[in-house]
Amino acid sequence: MPERPHLVRGVDHAAFPTFDPAATVHFYRDVLGFPVAHAITAVGWGPAQHPDFVHFFFDIGGGDRIAFFYYFGTEPYRDDEVPRLLAEARHLAIHVDSVEVLDDYQRRLDGSPWPCEMRVPHETLESIYVHDPNGYLIELTCPTRMLGEADREDGELTVEALLEVAAAPDPSIAKLWSRKAELIARTAERLVEVTP
Amino acid sequence: MTALYILDAEEFGPIADVAATGPEVRERRVGHYRELSSDGSISIDRRATGVRHAVWYSAVAAIRDGQVVQYDKDALRVAPR
Repeated sequence: MPERPHLVRGVDHAAFPTFDPAATVHFYRDVLGFPVAHAITAVGWGPAQHPDFVHFFFDIGGGDRIAFFYYFGTEPYRDDEVPRLLAEARHLAIHVDSVEVLDDYQRRLDGSPWPCEMRVPHETLESIYVHDPNGYLIELTCPTRMLGEADREDGELTVEALLEVAAAPDPSIAKLWSRKAELIARTAERLVEVTP
Repeated sequence: MTALYILDAEEFGPIADVAATGPEVRERRVGHYRELSSDGSISIDRRATGVRHAVWYSAVAAIRDGQVVQYDKDALRVAPR
């Protein structure tokens, strides 16, 4: 396989539609304190019938931004048919550097109409969760430890096992664990071979 | 022989530590993992580990020649297949 240098540098922006710009600005700018970074006002162009729109951006730190589209004259739409499990799998997690900063953002939310809904100490992260005024799940998260080589290699084995198990009939976590044990043994044998 | 693999990361340490205290459980290091093996079952009492739910329910990296017969808020038990 040709070498593919890893050249990207994180998220530039993630964009979502909104039908409630007032609540969206209030939530991100006034409650969370994310400054407005940029806004594009444009008449519809490109595809026929494209509405006029405003594309506005909030600074979420690190040079990254969360952005919204407001389309003039477009009826609000919300797909309530998407099962909650799947709707909430799509979420944006915004990084903070410490638990103290996470506490600060939790206090900002708790003093607003959008209080923190859940706080979870995960494996390598601690997170708070809230739905924004558009119904999008937003996470703020701080690392509780740095990820290292072991995490990367373990992740590679998990993904390799997942690809094999998901391609076969009746994928299950039991099959993944079993296949991954074989991959761990194979990797360990290779390590022993190269260790003097 | 049944073997349970737990990633040797600090958050999973207490779980592997408790597993290793089980009767007839042997431990060795394999790559980045702690391999806990036994001719019988391997049982881990969650309360003895002191870990929170998100860590508890993501602790299993792999299982060789065994099956999970219990994995809930009380315990993880892996039995020979």
